[in-house]
Formats: sequence, C-alpha cells, structure tokens
Amino acid sequence: MDLAFTPEEQAFRQQVRTWVQAHLPEHLSHKVHNALRLSREDMQAWAKILGAKGWLGYAWPTQFGGPGWNAVQKHLFEEECALAGSPRVVPFGPVMVAPVIMAFGSPEQQQRFLPGIASGEVWWSQGYSEPGSGSDLASLKTRAERVGDKYIVNGQKTWTTLAQFGDWIFCLVRTSFEGKPQTGISFLLIDMKSPGVSVRPIKLLDGECEVNEVWFDNVEVPAENLVGEENKGWNYAKYLLAHERTNIADVNRAKRELERLKRIAKAEGVWDDMRFRDEIAKLEVDVIALEMMVLRVLSAEKSGKQSLDIAGLLKIRGSEIQQRYSELMMQAAGPFSLPFIEEAMAAGWQGNHVGAAHCAPLASTYFNMRKTTIYGGSNEVQRNIVAQTVLG
Amino acid sequence: MDFDFSDDQAQLREAVLKWVEKAYSFEARRSAVAAGGFSSQAYQAMAELGLSGLYVQDAYGGMNMGPVEGMLVMEELGRGMVMEPIAHTWISTAVLQAFAPEHLKTEWLPRLAGGEALLVLAHHEKGGRYHLDKCQATAKQLGQSWQVTGHKSLVPAADQAHGFVVPATANGKQALFLVPRSASTDTRHVYQAQDGSRMGELHLQDAPAQCISTDGLAALQLAVDVGATALCAEAVGLMEKTLAITVDYMNTRKQFGVAISGFQSLRHRVADMKMQLELGRSMSYYASLKLNATAAERSLAVSRAKFQIGRSARHVGQEAVQLHGGIGVTDEYIVSHCFKRLTQIELSLGDSLNHLGLVSAQMQDTAGVFA
Repeated sequence: MDLAFTPEEQAFRQQVRTWVQAHLPEHLSHKVHNALRLSREDMQAWAKILGAKGWLGYAWPTQFGGPGWNAVQKHLFEEECALAGSPRVVPFGPVMVAPVIMAFGSPEQQQRFLPGIASGEVWWSQGYSEPGSGSDLASLKTRAERVGDKYIVNGQKTWTTLAQFGDWIFCLVRTSFEGKPQTGISFLLIDMKSPGVSVRPIKLLDGECEVNEVWFDNVEVPAENLVGEENKGWNYAKYLLAHERTNIADVNRAKRELERLKRIAKAEGVWDDMRFRDEIAKLEVDVIALEMMVLRVLSAEKSGKQSLDIAGLLKIRGSEIQQRYSELMMQAAGPFSLPFIEEAMAAGWQGNHVGAAHCAPLASTYFNMRKTTIYGGSNEVQRNIVAQTVLG
Repeated sequence: MDFDFSDDQAQLREAVLKWVEKAYSFEARRSAVAAGGFSSQAYQAMAELGLSGLYVQDAYGGMNMGPVEGMLVMEELGRGMVMEPIAHTWISTAVLQAFAPEHLKTEWLPRLAGGEALLVLAHHEKGGRYHLDKCQATAKQLGQSWQVTGHKSLVPAADQAHGFVVPATANGKQALFLVPRSASTDTRHVYQAQDGSRMGELHLQDAPAQCISTDGLAALQLAVDVGATALCAEAVGLMEKTLAITVDYMNTRKQFGVAISGFQSLRHRVADMKMQLELGRSMSYYASLKLNATAAERSLAVSRAKFQIGRSARHVGQEAVQLHGGIGVTDEYIVSHCFKRLTQIELSLGDSLNHLGLVSAQMQDTAGVFA
C-alpha cells in the first residue's frame, strides 16, 4: 500500500498540466475561478479545444479513439482541468450517450455519431426524467410507436439540462406496456431539429435557465436511431450507472473551491473568527476524506485486485460537500451576499458592486447547488442503493 | 405565565392574515418583485390597518401596542413573504420613543404612525459585517443640528424612505442620528435583494441630521433587537407556511405508485422540520416576551432566539426544497422563494454564528428561561 503517485503518473500529470496551461483560454478560467456566468460559446469552446486534442472522449476505448488512459490517469486529467479552472465538460455526449453507442450501437451509428461527439461539435441532451417520473424513472410514459421504418414519439421530458442548446437528444422511451415497466423501455436518438420537438426553458431559483421541458408531438424518428434492441433501453441506462466514474464525487473542484473559500474568508475578515475558521477546517477534512475514498476506488480499478462497493457513496458525499462550500462562501460574505444583481454575475461588468466583487455570485451559487442532492439520482435513492448493498 | 393570545390579539392576527391573503398572493408578490420590490400601496394598506403605528404611543397617534402584537403581525407578514419593511418603521418608532428628545418625537412619530413617512435603519457598512460598534460614518455638530457624512449599505427601500436612522461617530463616540431625505442624501444606487425586496446604498455628504442619542451603541442595540425579534416572528410564519406547502406536495406527489408522504424516511424528516418550526416558535415567543426587559437581558434573549431561528430557518428551507425534488429549485414554484427569504432572514441582523458568539461570551453558570 502506497499513497504516492508513481513517477510515471506524476510525469503524466505534469504533461497534462502543461497542455492545459497552454490551451485553456484565460477568459474562461477567469469566469470559472470567479463563478461568473458561462455562455453556450464558453462551454462549447472548451469542449472543442479538448476535442481537437482527442481528450474530450478521454475515457473512451482506444478502438474508438480514446487516449487509452487508466483510472489514475483519467483522475489526474480531471484534477488538472478542474484546478486550472476549466469549464465543466457537458457530459451528455462524451460521457453518457457515447459509451452506450460504443457498447450497444451499430457500426453505422458509431460512425455517424461518435465523431461529432468526440470533436465537441455536436451538443447532446439527456431525455430521461418526466413530470411524473423522477425518482421512479421506470414509470416513464413518453411513447415511441413503431410505424413502418419510423418511430412516432409523443410525450414530454423535463429537467433536460441545457437542451436549449442541444443538437441531439438521447431518450428513454416507452415501446411496450407489457410486463414490468423496465422491460418496455427503449433507447432512442432524436434530432432536436425534427418537426414536433419543442423546448421550453425552465428558470431556476438563481435566475438562469439551466434546464428545460422538451415536448415531442408526433415526432418522426427513423428506426435506425434505435440503439441496440427494442425494450432493452433500461439495461443500457443501467450500464452507464454501473460504470459510475469517480468524477461524480467532484473532489477536484471541491479542492479548488476550498481554496477560493479561504481567499474569500480572508477578504471578508472572517478568517480570524475561530468559529468560522473551524467550519472551514471541518470542510477541509471532509474534502480530504472524500479524496482518499476516490483514490481507493481508483486503486481498486487500477489493480483489479479488490472490488469496492463504496462508489455509491461518492455522489452522496460529493454533493453534500458542494453544498457546504457554497454555503460557507455565502456566509463569509454575510449580508453583502444579499444583493441580487444579475449583471454583476457576468464577467467584465464595470458597474458598482455593493460589497466586494467576489460577493456577487455567492448567494445564487448556494441556491443553485441545492440541486446537487436532487439530480443524478437523488441522495435518498442513492442511500437506498447503498443500504441495499449493506443490508441485502 | 400565559402563552394564550387575547381576543383582541386574535382579531389583529385575523385582520392581517385576511389582508395578506387578499392583497399579497404569490402571483401579486411576483409582480411586485418585477416592478422593483416595493409597493407604496401595500405599505399604505398596512398603515391603514394601524400597523405602522403599532408601537407608537397613543399620544403620538399610534396603536400603543406591544411586542406580542408585533410578533403575531410579523408571523402573518412572514407567511405572506411581505417585502415592504414595516418592521423598520417599528425599529424607528421604538428608538425614537426610547431615546429621542421630545421635539424629534413630535416631528416624526405621528407621520410614522399614520404611514405618511417611512424611516429605515441604515447601519451596514462595508467591512462592518455584524459588528454594531464598527462605524466609519462621522457627524459634526452645527449649533442644534448636525451633519452626517458616510456610506451605508444594504438599506431597505432606500430610495423610498423619507429618512434614515444612521449610526455615526461624533467626537470619537458612536451616536445615532435621524437623517431626513435631502439634497445631501444620495440613494440613486438601488437594487433588489435575493428575496426580491428593494434595497439600496445611502451616500451622505454633510447631510442635515438630528441627534437621536449620543448613547449611540445602546440606541443601535435597541434598534437591532427590535428588528431581529421581528425577523424571528417573520421566520416562524414563513416556516409554518413552508412546511404546509411541503406537506401538501408530499401528500399529492406519487412515485412508485404511492404518495411520497408514505415513505418512512421522509416522514421522519417532516417530523424534524416540525421540531425546528416549534423550537423556532418557542424562541420567537421568548424574544418578544423579553423585548421590554432591561437592555442586557433583552439583547441576550434576542441573540439566543436569533441563533435558534437561524438554524431552524436553514433546516426548514433546505429540507423543503429537497423534499420537493426538482420543482423545489424552480423559480416558477413558490417553495424556492420561501427558501430564499428564510436564507435572507438568517443572514440579516446577525447570522447564527454571530449570535452564537454573543451568547457564548455571556454565559453564566446557570441558565434557563427564568435564570
């Protein structure tokens, strides 16, 4: 047992760090480091830069153009990107639909869809949740009826993140009402420009439209857009969960934000308040514990010698830590986090800040982070899964 | 020892509740936020109900009521998330009555009671955080009157107020001033808070002022205590509403074929929310019932209460959002607005950590409600 990264791993980290320093535009890292609003162009710009290097699909198998990194290298890459202040990669294309297409799609689908995902040119959205199907996703009702060489899709998806920018959407749709709900679900790829697809942005409590409702009104989808077999879609969705990445813990960002929290605490004069400082110290230990847990999972993946059942804990803990640092930052600003000035949350605003400039986005970020314990499988559902593994 | 409300008090609560239901629906509030976060009609309507003169002695045209009336009014205003800062009128009238010279009382109290004038507390400064004794603004005396210079932040309804209650240092000692709106008070920098209410910056340049008290810290402490007590009651009404909304949702929302209110793990969390609501209500009563005590006793009680309320508000707000799932974080649905207001209450007039420090510093060997 050894804590240190090997010389090869350290050299790899250095290689990634050098590349990121050279290729991450300063205006993007400035926005990320200061929690300022990112535009569509911002998010896609970084995706394309990674794509040009072949690093957007950094976890893809080499046969599909992936760089062939092991678990530790992938983690180091994620960490270097996060610490440098890169925008979060929108995962729906490269991390979610691509592995399903690679594992279960036809060669034609792979040739058709994977290059656009790998390059960052094509923006994908995820059509899973519905108004009546949140935690109970298997109860979904969006219907895909096979008519000749097409599926006719009718229904509604909700909470579709950034679908207002989406080019394509992968959907879990109902192709059968027989038997258990899970056995009647298919995995369908839909062009968002298809007639009958409409998108309505949903404003969240921080004033931004991060998610959407997507309506399907007699949308015609070519049958060749079905991935794998009809009625096997639930298995493909579960496949994604089984390959849960340690990235879900977001510990790299947590380390970066912990540093930012300390800077803000010092600037706001609460660093010398031991009560406040202790709260930061508690969070620091929490972050280190999470990082150790992530490393244990990586080590197990790397060596293959022991199987670990703790991956389910990563999302729970990671989300709680995200909420805690966002809360402490808002608390550090105290009453000066109270003004809600949307322009002040964009980069380059030259207006009069009420408190220090860093105060402007803190409350909105705290409010927005309440979603982390709800999305991606709510923490209640995650705890059920963990309990199942322990209690049987 | 009696925690029942009198018939008059019940009627007062009913009158406010009815007004809020009629005039301050969630949709009406949303429009008021879009229009800038302060409605003079709403403020006038509250004045007409007698609320602006609630604490004003009848000699000055007020209702001559006390903290319990204030508490139950604030519970109802909290339930409706009313944005217009009537509690600041109470702060001003309380401070004027306790500290100001007679001429200042006769000049302002009737107008405050009648709703013709709005005076707000303007005490925040950059770098001051929650410290009441940090004050950069200065005042110089010219005969009987004064001039105040400085910059106060986060002033409620700054551009709507007719005057400001302002701490400023005079001859090295912190004093408290009444600064009427004039050519020397600049409130052009306005914005809205996270809860939608209107706020602004107050820039003072040799602004004509009257001295409320040279015992500035004591006067400011009273102001903050009155304000914090009002916040506690407001939070109680809002937490009650937030819990009710959450319960309704859980009883209606079905997943896995059943209402989610049936899941034991969620039921326990509802019980915990109820616990926090009732602990908060209990401490709100405590603060209100101590508001007329001597200064040290009053301030300690308020700090103890605000600490509890801060924790309760945080818990109830966060849990309400979580138990709603996705719709809890949307702007369209009401519960995120409740959560934002509860968060704002926690951060106002001293957060939990601040009040914990004050309680901790004053701990004696024995403690209890009557200790």
